[in-house]
Amino acid sequence: MRSVVLAQLRTHAARLIASTLAVVIAVGFVVATLVLNETSRSTVLDTVGARYVHAAAVVTSEGGSLADDVADLEALSSVGVVAPAYEAGVSAEVPGRPGSQYLSVQSVADAPQLRWEQLSSGRLPREVGEVAVTDRARAEVGDVLTVSAYDADGEATTSQATVTGIVDLRGDPQAGLFARGFVTEAQARDWGAGFPAELRIAAGPGFGADEVLRDVTAAVPGDAVVRTGEAQAERAAAALMGNTTALASVLLVFGTIAVVVAGLVIANTFAVLLAQRTRELALLRCVGATPRQVRRSVLGEALATGLVASALGVAAGIGLAALISAVAGSNSAIPLSGVAVPLSAVGAGMLVGTVVTVLAALAPARAATRVAPLAALRPVDPAPLRSRPGVLRLVLGLLLAVPGTALMGGGAAMPDVRVALPGGVLSFLGIVLLAQRAVPPVVAAVGRLAGRLGGVPARLAAGNATRNPRRTAATATALLIGVTLTSAFVVGAASTRATATAGLAAEFPTDVVVEGFAGELPGSLENTLARTDGVARSAPVLAGTVAGPDGDLVGAFGVDRAEAAATLRSTEDLVLPGPGQVSVPEWLADPWAVRDGDRLTLGGDPDREVPARQFTVRVVDADNPLLLDATELRALAPDASLGQVWLRLADDDPARQLDVLDRITDVVAEASPDTQVTGLIAQRAEIDEILDVLLLVVTGLLGVAVVIALIGVGNTLALSVVERRQENGLLRALGLTRGQLRGLLAWEAMLVAGVASALGVVVGGSYGLIGAASVLGQVGDLVLDVPWLQVAAIVVVATVAGLLASVLPARRAARTAPVAAIAAA
Amino acid sequence: MSVPVMTVPGELRTGETTAAVRAAGLRKTYGTGETAVHALAGVDVTFAAGEFTAIMGPSGSGKSTLMHCLAGLDTATAGEVWLGDTPLTSLRDDQLTVLRRRRIGFVFQSFNLLPVLDARENIVLPLQLGGLRPDPAWFDAVIARLGLRERLGHRPHELSGGQQQRVAIARALLPRPDVVFADEPTGNLDSRSGAEVLGLLRSSVKETGQTVVMVTHDPSAAAYADRVVLLAGGRLAGDLADPTAESVLDALRGLGA
Ligand SMILES: Nc1ncnc2c1ncn2[C@@H]1O[C@H](COP(=O)(O)OP(=O)(O)O)[C@@H](O)[C@H]1O
Ligand SMILES: [Mg+2]
Repeated sequence: MRSVVLAQLRTHAARLIASTLAVVIAVGFVVATLVLNETSRSTVLDTVGARYVHAAAVVTSEGGSLADDVADLEALSSVGVVAPAYEAGVSAEVPGRPGSQYLSVQSVADAPQLRWEQLSSGRLPREVGEVAVTDRARAEVGDVLTVSAYDADGEATTSQATVTGIVDLRGDPQAGLFARGFVTEAQARDWGAGFPAELRIAAGPGFGADEVLRDVTAAVPGDAVVRTGEAQAERAAAALMGNTTALASVLLVFGTIAVVVAGLVIANTFAVLLAQRTRELALLRCVGATPRQVRRSVLGEALATGLVASALGVAAGIGLAALISAVAGSNSAIPLSGVAVPLSAVGAGMLVGTVVTVLAALAPARAATRVAPLAALRPVDPAPLRSRPGVLRLVLGLLLAVPGTALMGGGAAMPDVRVALPGGVLSFLGIVLLAQRAVPPVVAAVGRLAGRLGGVPARLAAGNATRNPRRTAATATALLIGVTLTSAFVVGAASTRATATAGLAAEFPTDVVVEGFAGELPGSLENTLARTDGVARSAPVLAGTVAGPDGDLVGAFGVDRAEAAATLRSTEDLVLPGPGQVSVPEWLADPWAVRDGDRLTLGGDPDREVPARQFTVRVVDADNPLLLDATELRALAPDASLGQVWLRLADDDPARQLDVLDRITDVVAEASPDTQVTGLIAQRAEIDEILDVLLLVVTGLLGVAVVIALIGVGNTLALSVVERRQENGLLRALGLTRGQLRGLLAWEAMLVAGVASALGVVVGGSYGLIGAASVLGQVGDLVLDVPWLQVAAIVVVATVAGLLASVLPARRAARTAPVAAIAAA
Repeated sequence: MSVPVMTVPGELRTGETTAAVRAAGLRKTYGTGETAVHALAGVDVTFAAGEFTAIMGPSGSGKSTLMHCLAGLDTATAGEVWLGDTPLTSLRDDQLTVLRRRRIGFVFQSFNLLPVLDARENIVLPLQLGGLRPDPAWFDAVIARLGLRERLGHRPHELSGGQQQRVAIARALLPRPDVVFADEPTGNLDSRSGAEVLGLLRSSVKETGQTVVMVTHDPSAAAYADRVVLLAGGRLAGDLADPTAESVLDALRGLGA
């Protein structure tokens, strides 16, 4: 049978392209993820761990100084040299740069074998008065820095240091945070370094790390920890890698989705390939092949395809990782330099691809063994293929979907994501099973509708799309999975954003607050700000002092309710008082023993002899001062002056609002230098940005699944075209133009892709909303939001992509001359 | 040629009746050089309107090729075909397609019907492809003549071979085409169904003046025709008027088949 397998592969190689492509993409994705993760790990190990890897042992101490142990350790025969790590923080002025900058200083080992610093130019310092810096300091070799070191009392000592070299930290993810300086131990101590909390130790000649570790452990005090250099490097890297490992697991979840979708596409391809070969297989059976041999030949074909495709996928994945690494480089959030290919990634890629391909081919292979030898002798049966309803699938689907959905609903209502999540997984599996049942009738119904609009080609397409329900369902399911997950994410993210925005608005209802450090603002400032471009509303806030019930003076703000309310995004947490009302923060309400609705008497400045006034209390959860009506504050405190200005910016995109914020800062700095500008607007922009990036990345990842599914759509069509060669020839003979034939296939693709993506969007959208409700409902007040435009875009893009997937098969179909098809009969 | 056959070139018959289809110097060559096969090696033939003509000849003599070229399904290597006054070789693919839809009917040996459509949908398909509706009275007349009234809602796989061919004939007749081409329409049928189908083709010529050109290798099928055109080796090899099974058989024997 091997010769048959090989012959099949040779003849049908072209038909296996779609399966191969699906496996290549899915495997490539998984391998790229693993390789990037390993690359990032080894990059971190190389950079963060650089200082440790060459040390035989590293001693660290939580609290105590290790300075006294240096001499003891160096006396050990197995120990060569010991380098204590002194660290200090100084501020340095670089010639030609404005102001001074923070410089994190560490000592350089005296012994060459413990020096890990790589220099891009110059040399390391040899004596006091010399320093090597990272390029972040923007200094050059030869520059003389003016360094101010501070002692424990904050007393500054100023000294000079000449730059002797520039240290290159390569891909160290921490490199960018601040500039670093490298100096001799003596210089570090001069600049205020405390005791060393870390000793790096090189082995003496002829001794190994094990011996050093043993001797040093015995010699140091009990609370010090001794590790080998390797172990310490791993540890330092692990501390930094926490986030990237989490990222890798998220990526692998998407990789799994891609693999599942690829599996569906492969199963589909094999089913169709074998359906086409029914007669060939029957002939094999006629000439004496056993069912086992037939099955083996099919699985052999799958195995060969799987191996080849997985190998290509592994290569593609490594290439992709190298590309990403090269593009992102060491400046990205995930540190990457070069590529590190772990054997496990190659193995995993090969295994996943091959196993998925063979598993996907199992069902079609079993079907192939059921081909009766007589089928070879029967004329081609024009009856539409009918698949059995699959009662098991229906029952199992319902068993998963119904309780899963109930659990999910419960999780959203409680709200508890720990209940909703398993419910979501169960119901999704159920829905995937049920989709096999639900998709064909929906396609048929939509097809009838399309038939009214699109004429004969659309009506024929509707018939064609439903004549092999199982194949249509499998094709649609692959797309359904991708679209469901994508839209679940898009809708979930929109609701997250809406909830976060509403939460922030409640907590920080003002876009921008301008406030004087020293209390008072120039009276004209409010007017100037109100006229600034991009400012929609402004409200002055008076600041003065009033006497509380205990006679103590406390600060109070006064606002005009209507004017102030116009500047607020939310009045949920910040309730504005009207005449006769006062908002009392909790920190004052407690000592004054007042509660909501109580009457409170506030007096004026005792020197001024203004009459006291009565107010109704509303206790608020805020750390503001007392808040009352501006007119009443002026009555109690006649010399109250402008304390704050509240601004509301015109609604615009976050970047433009940040520009406005800059303009406001300029205006304020000119009018009143010791004034600070705060506000939510910057944070809101930041949150928007984070969500945007997240959305983009995840959508891109899910896009991989959608692309694989669309390959499946194109594949199914291509095979249908082969299968219906005669039929299409007949149609052409009867007067179907080439354009109409292309239209027929386009309609078929659009029906399947459109129905799958519409169903996917509905299901996915619900998942997104339920997910958001169960996660965010726990955190705070939930705001659900459906981004209709994006959701519609998903349906349109998937449908149009389905249409594009039909272009090549349709061209092939249209090229066939009618007579060729008829002659083949 | 010991057979008593009147070998009359097609051109000469045009004077008697109007020509529905006419071919002149028709050649069709497959392949090139040494391996070239001349499926048609220069055929001049005319098919009169309102006549039932059978094309006969040994297997591989070029019958199907001739029919495909006459029907605008295939392009000839050389020569010209006229459908009425329309020369076909100058038409573009789309023009040919529309011409087939409106002016030519087809009945093939097998795989005549689209499996996804029921009988009625199959019958009206060519008209609908052109965005036309069938004339209800004519539709009823055709259906009644072919005895398909009870079968209109059935899919092809629910019909017998003879019924399927009757549906194909109904489809071919419905647009009232200039000519109906049938390639071995009885090839897959038992003799009773075959006779039925041939009788229906015959009566459509008799009663409505439909022009029919049928390819067959069965002398008794050819006997239903008004005229038999004989092909051998891609050339015209004879022409019989009012054939009978015996005269056709004799003529074929003369060709050495
Ligand atoms: N597509 C083709 N390629 C090459 N040769 C062909 C092709 N179609 C037909 N022929 C050859 O042309 C000749 C006539 O074929 P055909 O018209 O089908 O004959 P008939 O229908 O009379 O049996 C035969 O010799 C056949 O082998
Ligand atoms: Mg033939």
